[in-house]
Amino acid sequence: MNRCRRWQKRIPEAIYGELDAETRESMERHFAGCEGCAGLYHQMAEAVRKMEARPAPDRPPEYWDAYWDRLEARMAHDAAPARPRRAPAVRAWAYGTAGAILFLSLGIFIGRTFLRTRPELPPQAGTASTGTAPSGRPGLERGEGTAALAVRASRYLKRSRVLLLAVVNSDPKDEDPFKLNLPLQKKASEELLLEAAALRKGLGSSDPRLERLIADLEMILLQIANLTPDSDETDIEIIRAGVEGRDILFKINLNETVRPKQKAVAGLSPAWPGENRDPARIRTAAAA
Amino acid sequence: MSREDEARLADRLAAGDPSAFRELVAAYQRKVYGLAYEMTRNHADAEDISQITFMKIHRAIGTIKPGYGLSTWIYQITHNAALDHIRKKPFFPREALTAIAPDRHAGEPADPAANPEQAAESSSLRRRIDGVLAKFSERERAVFVLRHYHDLKIKEIARALGVSLGSVKSYLFRSILKLQRELDEAGPAPDDGERP
Repeated sequence: MNRCRRWQKRIPEAIYGELDAETRESMERHFAGCEGCAGLYHQMAEAVRKMEARPAPDRPPEYWDAYWDRLEARMAHDAAPARPRRAPAVRAWAYGTAGAILFLSLGIFIGRTFLRTRPELPPQAGTASTGTAPSGRPGLERGEGTAALAVRASRYLKRSRVLLLAVVNSDPKDEDPFKLNLPLQKKASEELLLEAAALRKGLGSSDPRLERLIADLEMILLQIANLTPDSDETDIEIIRAGVEGRDILFKINLNETVRPKQKAVAGLSPAWPGENRDPARIRTAAAA
Repeated sequence: MSREDEARLADRLAAGDPSAFRELVAAYQRKVYGLAYEMTRNHADAEDISQITFMKIHRAIGTIKPGYGLSTWIYQITHNAALDHIRKKPFFPREALTAIAPDRHAGEPADPAANPEQAAESSSLRRRIDGVLAKFSERERAVFVLRHYHDLKIKEIARALGVSLGSVKSYLFRSILKLQRELDEAGPAPDDGERP
Protein backbone atom coordinates (compact mmCIF):
# COMPACT_ATOMS: atom_id res chain seq x y z
CA MET A 1 0.00 0.00 0.00
CA ASN A 2 2.83 2.35 0.91
CA ARG A 3 4.49 1.51 -2.40
CA CYS A 4 1.31 2.43 -4.23
CA ARG A 5 1.12 5.77 -2.43
CA ARG A 6 4.75 6.49 -3.23
CA TRP A 7 4.23 5.85 -6.95
CA GLN A 8 0.90 7.65 -7.06
CA LYS A 9 2.51 10.81 -5.69
CA ARG A 10 4.94 10.74 -8.59
CA ILE A 11 2.24 10.49 -11.27
CA PRO A 12 2.36 14.27 -12.02
CA GLU A 13 6.09 14.02 -12.62
CA ALA A 14 5.46 11.12 -14.99
CA ILE A 15 2.73 13.02 -16.83
CA TYR A 16 4.94 16.09 -17.31
CA GLY A 17 8.02 14.04 -18.18
CA GLU A 18 10.14 14.92 -15.17
CA LEU A 19 11.10 11.36 -14.27
CA ASP A 20 14.46 10.00 -15.31
CA ALA A 21 14.49 6.84 -17.42
CA GLU A 22 15.31 4.49 -14.57
CA THR A 23 12.52 5.77 -12.30
CA ARG A 24 10.11 5.71 -15.20
CA GLU A 25 10.85 2.02 -15.82
CA SER A 26 10.36 1.18 -12.16
CA MET A 27 7.02 2.98 -12.18
CA GLU A 28 5.87 1.14 -15.29
CA ARG A 29 6.81 -2.19 -13.70
CA HIS A 30 4.68 -1.31 -10.68
CA PHE A 31 1.76 -0.15 -12.80
CA ALA A 32 1.92 -3.39 -14.80
CA GLY A 33 1.09 -5.34 -11.66
CA CYS A 34 -1.20 -2.77 -9.97
CA GLU A 35 -4.49 -1.94 -11.65
CA GLY A 36 -5.40 0.77 -9.11
CA CYS A 37 -2.25 2.82 -9.70
CA ALA A 38 -2.39 2.30 -13.45
CA GLY A 39 -6.03 3.41 -13.50
CA LEU A 40 -5.27 6.52 -11.50
CA TYR A 41 -2.38 7.38 -13.82
CA HIS A 42 -4.57 7.12 -16.90
CA GLN A 43 -7.36 9.16 -15.33
CA MET A 44 -5.02 11.94 -14.27
CA ALA A 45 -3.22 11.93 -17.60
CA GLU A 46 -6.56 12.19 -19.35
CA ALA A 47 -7.53 15.18 -17.18
CA VAL A 48 -4.28 16.92 -18.11
CA ARG A 49 -4.88 16.09 -21.75
CA LYS A 50 -8.29 17.74 -21.54
CA MET A 51 -6.52 20.94 -20.56
CA GLU A 52 -5.72 21.28 -24.27
CA ALA A 53 -9.24 22.64 -24.62
CA ARG A 54 -8.21 25.57 -22.50
CA PRO A 55 -5.30 27.47 -23.99
CA ALA A 56 -3.22 29.88 -21.94
CA PRO A 57 -4.92 33.24 -21.47
CA ASP A 58 -3.90 35.75 -24.07
CA ARG A 59 -4.94 39.14 -25.42
CA PRO A 60 -5.33 40.38 -28.99
CA PRO A 61 -2.11 41.42 -30.81
CA GLU A 62 -2.98 45.13 -30.63
CA TYR A 63 -2.99 44.85 -26.86
CA TRP A 64 0.59 43.60 -26.89
CA ASP A 65 1.65 46.16 -29.49
CA ALA A 66 0.81 48.97 -27.08
CA TYR A 67 1.98 47.20 -23.97
CA TRP A 68 5.46 48.71 -23.89
CA ASP A 69 4.13 52.25 -24.37
CA ARG A 70 1.70 51.84 -21.47
CA LEU A 71 4.41 50.39 -19.26
CA GLU A 72 6.87 53.15 -20.16
CA ALA A 73 4.27 55.84 -19.47
CA ARG A 74 3.51 54.36 -16.07
CA MET A 75 7.18 54.06 -15.19
CA ALA A 76 7.74 57.68 -16.18
CA HIS A 77 4.74 58.77 -14.11
CA ASP A 78 5.85 56.80 -11.05
CA ALA A 79 9.40 58.07 -11.38
CA ALA A 80 8.31 61.75 -11.43
CA PRO A 81 10.18 63.48 -8.59
CA ALA A 82 7.51 65.86 -7.39
CA ARG A 83 4.15 64.51 -6.52
CA PRO A 84 1.45 67.12 -6.94
CA ARG A 85 -0.44 65.62 -4.04
CA ARG A 86 2.24 66.58 -1.53
CA ALA A 87 1.71 70.33 -1.62
CA PRO A 88 -2.06 70.26 -1.14
CA ALA A 89 -1.59 67.79 1.69
CA VAL A 90 0.64 70.28 3.54
CA ARG A 91 -1.70 73.13 2.77
CA ALA A 92 -4.67 71.16 4.02
CA TRP A 93 -2.82 70.48 7.24
CA ALA A 94 -2.04 74.18 7.66
CA TYR A 95 -5.62 75.13 6.97
CA GLY A 96 -6.81 72.60 9.49
CA THR A 97 -4.52 73.97 12.20
CA ALA A 98 -5.44 77.56 11.46
CA GLY A 99 -9.12 76.65 11.52
CA ALA A 100 -8.76 74.90 14.85
CA ILE A 101 -6.96 77.91 16.38
CA LEU A 102 -9.58 80.30 15.02
CA PHE A 103 -12.38 78.12 16.33
CA LEU A 104 -10.75 77.90 19.74
CA SER A 105 -10.19 81.68 19.89
CA LEU A 106 -13.79 82.32 18.91
CA GLY A 107 -14.98 79.94 21.61
CA ILE A 108 -12.87 81.67 24.26
CA PHE A 109 -14.11 85.09 23.13
CA ILE A 110 -17.76 84.04 23.22
CA GLY A 111 -17.30 82.34 26.54
CA ARG A 112 -15.64 85.34 28.13
CA THR A 113 -17.95 87.93 26.62
CA PHE A 114 -21.39 86.40 26.64
CA LEU A 115 -21.30 83.33 28.82
CA ARG A 116 -19.55 84.57 31.92
CA THR A 117 -19.40 81.78 34.39
CA ARG A 118 -20.66 82.32 37.90
CA PRO A 119 -18.11 83.77 40.27
CA GLU A 120 -15.82 81.24 41.72
CA LEU A 121 -17.00 80.28 45.12
CA PRO A 122 -14.73 80.99 48.00
CA PRO A 123 -13.60 77.99 49.91
CA GLN A 124 -15.69 76.97 52.87
CA ALA A 125 -14.35 77.20 56.36
CA GLY A 126 -13.53 73.79 57.67
CA THR A 127 -12.17 72.51 54.43
CA ALA A 128 -8.69 73.04 55.65
CA SER A 129 -6.81 72.85 52.39
CA THR A 130 -9.14 75.22 50.56
CA GLY A 131 -9.82 77.73 53.29
CA THR A 132 -6.99 79.93 52.16
CA ALA A 133 -6.47 81.59 48.84
CA PRO A 134 -3.26 80.90 46.96
CA SER A 135 -1.95 84.21 48.20
CA GLY A 136 -2.34 83.00 51.75
CA ARG A 137 -5.23 85.33 52.57
CA PRO A 138 -8.74 84.08 53.28
CA GLY A 139 -11.02 84.21 50.28
CA LEU A 140 -13.26 86.90 51.74
CA GLU A 141 -10.38 89.31 52.09
CA ARG A 142 -9.89 89.42 48.36
CA GLY A 143 -12.93 91.59 47.74
CA GLU A 144 -15.36 88.94 46.56
CA GLY A 145 -18.58 89.84 44.84
CA THR A 146 -21.70 90.45 46.90
CA ALA A 147 -23.49 87.53 45.27
CA ALA A 148 -20.76 85.07 46.15
CA LEU A 149 -20.75 86.33 49.72
CA ALA A 150 -24.51 85.94 49.97
CA VAL A 151 -24.28 82.40 48.71
CA ARG A 152 -21.62 81.62 51.24
CA ALA A 153 -23.72 83.11 54.01
CA SER A 154 -26.72 81.15 52.83
CA ARG A 155 -24.77 77.92 52.96
CA TYR A 156 -23.50 78.80 56.39
CA LEU A 157 -27.02 79.44 57.66
CA LYS A 158 -28.42 76.26 56.18
CA ARG A 159 -25.71 74.19 57.65
CA SER A 160 -26.21 75.86 61.02
CA ARG A 161 -29.93 75.23 60.83
CA VAL A 162 -29.39 71.54 60.25
CA LEU A 163 -27.05 71.36 63.19
CA LEU A 164 -29.41 73.27 65.51
CA LEU A 165 -32.40 71.16 64.50
CA ALA A 166 -30.47 68.03 65.30
CA VAL A 167 -29.58 69.35 68.75
CA VAL A 168 -32.81 70.99 69.82
CA ASN A 169 -35.02 68.13 68.62
CA SER A 170 -33.21 65.55 70.68
CA ASP A 171 -35.45 64.42 73.57
CA PRO A 172 -33.50 63.96 76.83
CA LYS A 173 -36.31 61.88 78.40
CA ASP A 174 -36.39 59.27 75.67
CA GLU A 175 -32.88 59.06 74.47
CA ASP A 176 -29.34 59.74 75.36
CA PRO A 177 -28.47 63.19 73.98
CA PHE A 178 -25.06 61.94 73.04
CA LYS A 179 -26.63 59.58 70.57
CA LEU A 180 -26.56 62.72 68.49
CA ASN A 181 -23.05 61.74 67.52
CA LEU A 182 -21.50 64.47 69.62
CA PRO A 183 -18.02 64.42 68.06
CA LEU A 184 -19.55 65.09 64.66
CA GLN A 185 -21.75 67.92 65.98
CA LYS A 186 -18.81 69.49 67.79
CA LYS A 187 -16.67 69.34 64.70
CA ALA A 188 -19.40 70.89 62.59
CA SER A 189 -19.80 73.66 65.16
CA GLU A 190 -16.12 74.42 65.07
CA GLU A 191 -16.14 74.63 61.30
CA LEU A 192 -19.17 76.89 61.34
CA LEU A 193 -17.54 79.14 63.91
CA LEU A 194 -14.58 79.61 61.62
CA GLU A 195 -16.89 80.30 58.74
CA ALA A 196 -18.87 82.80 60.84
CA ALA A 197 -15.72 84.74 61.62
CA ALA A 198 -14.82 84.88 57.95
CA LEU A 199 -18.32 85.93 56.97
CA ARG A 200 -18.49 88.71 59.52
CA LYS A 201 -15.21 90.02 58.27
CA GLY A 202 -16.41 89.92 54.67
CA LEU A 203 -19.81 91.44 55.37
CA GLY A 204 -18.55 94.37 57.40
CA SER A 205 -21.51 96.64 58.03
CA SER A 206 -23.21 95.99 54.69
CA ASP A 207 -25.94 93.75 56.17
CA PRO A 208 -26.51 94.49 59.89
CA ARG A 209 -29.37 92.00 60.24
CA LEU A 210 -27.36 89.10 58.86
CA GLU A 211 -24.42 90.19 60.97
CA ARG A 212 -26.55 90.03 64.11
CA LEU A 213 -27.89 86.63 63.16
CA ILE A 214 -24.38 85.31 62.66
CA ALA A 215 -23.36 86.74 66.04
CA ASP A 216 -26.33 85.04 67.74
CA LEU A 217 -25.48 81.78 65.99
CA GLU A 218 -21.90 82.05 67.12
CA MET A 219 -23.04 81.94 70.75
CA ILE A 220 -25.04 78.77 70.22
CA LEU A 221 -22.37 77.12 68.07
CA LEU A 222 -19.82 77.91 70.75
CA GLN A 223 -21.98 76.13 73.33
CA ILE A 224 -22.30 73.08 71.10
CA ALA A 225 -18.58 73.08 70.38
CA ASN A 226 -17.87 73.17 74.12
CA LEU A 227 -20.06 70.20 75.00
CA THR A 228 -18.08 67.48 76.72
CA PRO A 229 -18.82 63.83 77.35
CA ASP A 230 -19.75 64.87 80.92
CA SER A 231 -22.45 67.23 79.71
CA ASP A 232 -26.00 66.19 80.54
CA GLU A 233 -29.46 67.07 79.31
CA THR A 234 -29.27 70.40 81.17
CA ASP A 235 -26.62 71.61 78.76
CA ILE A 236 -28.80 70.60 75.81
CA GLU A 237 -31.72 72.38 77.47
CA ILE A 238 -29.65 75.56 77.75
CA ILE A 239 -28.75 75.39 74.10
CA ARG A 240 -32.37 74.80 73.15
CA ALA A 241 -33.45 77.78 75.28
CA GLY A 242 -30.87 79.96 73.56
CA VAL A 243 -32.08 78.93 70.10
CA GLU A 244 -35.72 79.53 71.03
CA GLY A 245 -35.06 82.71 72.99
CA ARG A 246 -33.26 84.37 70.10
CA ASP A 247 -35.64 82.95 67.48
CA ILE A 248 -32.63 81.79 65.57
CA LEU A 249 -34.38 79.20 63.42
CA PHE A 250 -37.05 81.71 62.51
CA LYS A 251 -34.45 84.31 61.57
CA ILE A 252 -32.60 81.80 59.42
CA ASN A 253 -35.79 80.94 57.58
CA LEU A 254 -36.61 84.61 57.20
CA ASN A 255 -33.15 85.30 55.81
CA GLU A 256 -33.57 82.51 53.28
CA THR A 257 -36.95 83.84 52.23
CA VAL A 258 -35.86 87.43 51.58
CA ARG A 259 -32.70 86.48 49.63
CA PRO A 260 -33.80 84.05 46.97
CA LYS A 261 -32.62 86.34 44.18
CA GLN A 262 -29.08 86.38 45.41
CA LYS A 263 -29.02 82.59 45.31
CA ALA A 264 -30.42 82.57 41.85
CA VAL A 265 -27.75 84.97 40.69
CA ALA A 266 -25.10 82.71 42.06
CA GLY A 267 -26.72 79.74 40.31
CA LEU A 268 -26.65 77.49 43.31
CA SER A 269 -29.13 74.90 44.39
CA PRO A 270 -30.94 76.10 47.48
CA ALA A 271 -30.32 72.95 49.46
CA TRP A 272 -27.23 72.30 51.51
CA PRO A 273 -25.69 69.01 50.44
CA GLY A 274 -27.06 66.29 52.60
CA GLU A 275 -29.58 68.58 54.25
CA ASN A 276 -32.58 66.68 53.02
CA ARG A 277 -31.24 63.48 54.45
CA ASP A 278 -30.78 64.90 57.90
CA PRO A 279 -33.02 62.88 60.23
CA ALA A 280 -33.57 65.80 62.62
CA ARG A 281 -34.82 68.02 59.84
CA ILE A 282 -37.08 65.30 58.58
CA ARG A 283 -38.44 64.91 62.05
CA THR A 284 -39.07 68.67 62.33
CA ALA A 285 -40.78 68.76 59.00
CA ALA A 286 -43.01 65.89 59.99
CA ALA A 287 -43.87 67.58 63.26
CA ALA A 288 -44.72 70.81 61.45
CA MET B 1 13.34 31.66 -24.85
CA SER B 2 16.02 29.01 -24.43
CA ARG B 3 18.14 28.72 -21.28
CA GLU B 4 21.11 30.10 -23.17
CA ASP B 5 19.16 33.14 -24.44
CA GLU B 6 17.85 33.70 -20.93
CA ALA B 7 21.38 33.63 -19.48
CA ARG B 8 22.63 36.06 -22.13
CA LEU B 9 19.77 38.45 -21.46
CA ALA B 10 20.48 38.29 -17.74
CA ASP B 11 24.12 39.14 -18.39
CA ARG B 12 23.15 42.13 -20.55
CA LEU B 13 20.74 43.37 -17.91
CA ALA B 14 23.39 43.04 -15.22
CA ALA B 15 25.85 44.93 -17.46
CA GLY B 16 23.38 47.83 -17.80
CA ASP B 17 22.46 47.38 -21.46
CA PRO B 18 19.56 49.87 -21.95
CA SER B 19 17.87 47.81 -24.68
CA ALA B 20 17.94 44.60 -22.65
CA PHE B 21 15.05 45.60 -20.43
CA ARG B 22 12.78 46.22 -23.39
CA GLU B 23 13.72 42.81 -24.77
CA LEU B 24 12.94 41.25 -21.44
CA VAL B 25 9.50 42.85 -21.40
CA ALA B 26 8.79 41.65 -24.92
CA ALA B 27 9.92 38.14 -24.06
CA TYR B 28 8.01 37.80 -20.79
CA GLN B 29 5.00 40.09 -21.04
CA ARG B 30 2.64 37.26 -22.04
CA LYS B 31 3.95 34.91 -19.38
CA VAL B 32 3.79 37.50 -16.63
CA TYR B 33 0.36 38.60 -17.72
CA GLY B 34 -0.80 34.98 -17.99
CA LEU B 35 0.23 34.07 -14.46
CA ALA B 36 -1.26 37.29 -13.10
CA TYR B 37 -4.49 36.58 -14.91
CA GLU B 38 -4.70 33.02 -13.63
CA MET B 39 -4.19 34.29 -10.10
CA THR B 40 -6.82 37.02 -10.31
CA ARG B 41 -9.12 36.09 -13.21
CA ASN B 42 -9.42 39.73 -14.10
CA HIS B 43 -7.85 41.47 -17.08
CA ALA B 44 -7.51 44.87 -15.41
CA ASP B 45 -5.85 43.31 -12.38
CA ALA B 46 -3.58 41.23 -14.62
CA GLU B 47 -2.51 44.36 -16.50
CA ASP B 48 -1.82 46.18 -13.26
CA ILE B 49 0.11 43.27 -11.74
CA SER B 50 2.17 42.74 -14.87
CA GLN B 51 3.17 46.41 -14.99
CA ILE B 52 4.04 46.40 -11.30
CA THR B 53 6.11 43.27 -11.87
CA PHE B 54 8.14 44.85 -14.67
CA MET B 55 8.67 48.02 -12.66
CA LYS B 56 9.98 45.94 -9.77
CA ILE B 57 12.25 44.07 -12.13
CA HIS B 58 13.53 47.36 -13.54
CA ARG B 59 14.34 48.65 -10.07
CA ALA B 60 16.05 45.38 -9.12
CA ILE B 61 18.11 44.87 -12.26
CA GLY B 62 21.29 45.56 -10.32
CA THR B 63 20.61 42.59 -8.04
CA ILE B 64 20.43 40.00 -10.83
CA LYS B 65 22.90 37.22 -10.11
CA PRO B 66 24.57 35.51 -13.06
CA GLY B 67 23.56 31.89 -13.16
CA TYR B 68 20.35 32.40 -11.23
CA GLY B 69 17.38 31.51 -13.42
CA LEU B 70 15.96 34.71 -14.86
CA SER B 71 12.53 33.26 -15.56
CA THR B 72 12.30 31.78 -12.05
CA TRP B 73 13.10 35.19 -10.63
CA ILE B 74 10.50 36.89 -12.82
CA TYR B 75 7.82 34.37 -11.85
CA GLN B 76 8.70 34.83 -8.21
CA ILE B 77 8.17 38.60 -8.50
CA THR B 78 4.96 38.10 -10.47
CA HIS B 79 3.56 35.65 -7.96
CA ASN B 80 4.37 37.92 -5.03
CA ALA B 81 2.89 40.94 -6.81
CA ALA B 82 -0.28 38.97 -7.55
CA LEU B 83 -0.58 37.85 -3.95
CA ASP B 84 -0.05 41.44 -2.75
CA HIS B 85 -2.73 42.58 -5.14
CA ILE B 86 -5.17 39.92 -3.97
CA ARG B 87 -4.48 40.68 -0.30
CA LYS B 88 -5.09 44.38 -0.86
CA LYS B 89 -8.45 43.71 -2.40
CA PRO B 90 -11.14 44.19 0.23
CA PHE B 91 -13.20 41.24 -0.94
CA PHE B 92 -12.17 38.53 -3.32
CA PRO B 93 -14.47 35.57 -2.80
CA ARG B 94 -13.80 32.32 -4.55
CA GLU B 95 -17.41 32.32 -5.76
CA ALA B 96 -16.66 35.53 -7.63
CA LEU B 97 -13.79 33.83 -9.41
CA THR B 98 -16.11 31.03 -10.47
CA ALA B 99 -18.71 33.51 -11.56
CA ILE B 100 -16.37 35.56 -13.73
CA ALA B 101 -14.48 32.57 -15.05
CA PRO B 102 -16.71 32.10 -18.13
CA ASP B 103 -15.73 35.59 -19.30
CA ARG B 104 -12.12 34.56 -19.49
CA HIS B 105 -12.20 33.32 -23.08
CA ALA B 106 -15.00 35.57 -24.24
CA GLY B 107 -12.75 37.43 -26.64
CA GLU B 108 -11.18 34.38 -28.15
CA PRO B 109 -12.42 33.24 -31.51
CA ALA B 110 -13.60 29.67 -31.95
CA ASP B 111 -11.19 27.29 -33.59
CA PRO B 112 -11.88 27.79 -37.30
CA ALA B 113 -10.61 24.29 -38.08
CA ALA B 114 -13.19 22.64 -35.83
CA ASN B 115 -16.70 21.97 -36.93
CA PRO B 116 -19.53 23.67 -34.97
CA GLU B 117 -20.23 20.59 -32.86
CA GLN B 118 -16.61 20.17 -31.87
CA ALA B 119 -16.27 23.89 -31.20
CA ALA B 120 -19.28 23.83 -28.88
CA GLU B 121 -17.94 20.81 -27.03
CA SER B 122 -14.52 22.39 -26.68
CA SER B 123 -16.04 25.63 -25.41
CA SER B 124 -18.11 23.76 -22.85
CA LEU B 125 -15.11 21.81 -21.60
CA ARG B 126 -13.13 25.02 -21.35
CA ARG B 127 -15.78 26.57 -19.15
CA ARG B 128 -15.82 23.50 -16.94
CA ILE B 129 -12.04 23.66 -16.58
CA ASP B 130 -12.30 27.35 -15.72
CA GLY B 131 -14.76 26.46 -12.99
CA VAL B 132 -12.43 23.81 -11.57
CA LEU B 133 -9.39 26.09 -11.63
CA ALA B 134 -11.36 28.74 -9.79
CA LYS B 135 -11.87 26.24 -6.97
CA PHE B 136 -8.15 25.66 -6.55
CA SER B 137 -6.36 27.33 -3.68
CA GLU B 138 -3.99 30.17 -4.63
CA ARG B 139 -0.98 27.90 -4.11
CA GLU B 140 -2.47 25.00 -6.07
CA ARG B 141 -3.38 27.30 -8.92
CA ALA B 142 0.06 28.89 -9.02
CA VAL B 143 1.82 25.52 -9.01
CA PHE B 144 -0.46 24.00 -11.64
CA VAL B 145 -0.34 27.04 -13.94
CA LEU B 146 3.44 27.34 -13.72
CA ARG B 147 3.85 23.64 -14.47
CA HIS B 148 1.19 23.30 -17.12
CA TYR B 149 1.28 26.61 -19.00
CA HIS B 150 4.72 27.99 -18.24
CA ASP B 151 6.57 24.71 -18.39
CA LEU B 152 8.56 25.31 -15.23
CA LYS B 153 10.18 22.26 -13.66
CA ILE B 154 9.06 21.29 -10.17
CA LYS B 155 12.41 22.46 -8.84
CA GLU B 156 11.97 25.86 -10.47
CA ILE B 157 8.42 26.21 -9.17
CA ALA B 158 9.67 25.47 -5.67
CA ARG B 159 12.27 28.23 -6.03
CA ALA B 160 9.83 30.71 -7.56
CA LEU B 161 7.18 30.20 -4.90
CA GLY B 162 9.60 29.79 -2.02
CA VAL B 163 8.31 26.36 -0.97
CA SER B 164 9.85 22.93 -0.69
CA LEU B 165 10.04 20.39 -3.52
CA GLY B 166 7.77 18.03 -1.61
CA SER B 167 5.15 20.76 -1.20
CA VAL B 168 5.17 21.52 -4.92
CA LYS B 169 4.75 17.82 -5.75
CA SER B 170 1.93 17.59 -3.27
CA TYR B 171 0.17 20.73 -4.62
CA LEU B 172 0.56 19.47 -8.18
CA PHE B 173 -0.81 16.02 -7.35
CA ARG B 174 -3.79 17.49 -5.52
CA SER B 175 -4.58 19.97 -8.27
CA ILE B 176 -4.53 17.32 -11.03
CA LEU B 177 -6.59 14.96 -8.90
CA LYS B 178 -9.16 17.71 -8.26
CA LEU B 179 -9.27 18.48 -11.95
CA GLN B 180 -9.80 14.83 -12.85
CA ARG B 181 -12.53 14.29 -10.25
CA GLU B 182 -14.40 17.49 -11.00
CA LEU B 183 -14.36 16.89 -14.75
CA ASP B 184 -15.45 13.27 -14.32
CA GLU B 185 -18.24 14.25 -11.93
CA ALA B 186 -19.51 16.97 -14.26
CA GLY B 187 -19.72 14.53 -17.19
CA PRO B 188 -20.39 15.83 -20.65
CA ALA B 189 -21.36 19.46 -20.50
CA PRO B 190 -24.83 20.44 -21.76
CA ASP B 191 -24.84 22.57 -24.83
CA ASP B 192 -26.13 25.93 -23.58
CA GLY B 193 -26.05 27.39 -27.04
CA GLU B 194 -23.34 29.95 -26.23
CA ARG B 195 -20.41 30.39 -28.51
CA PRO B 196 -17.10 31.95 -27.50
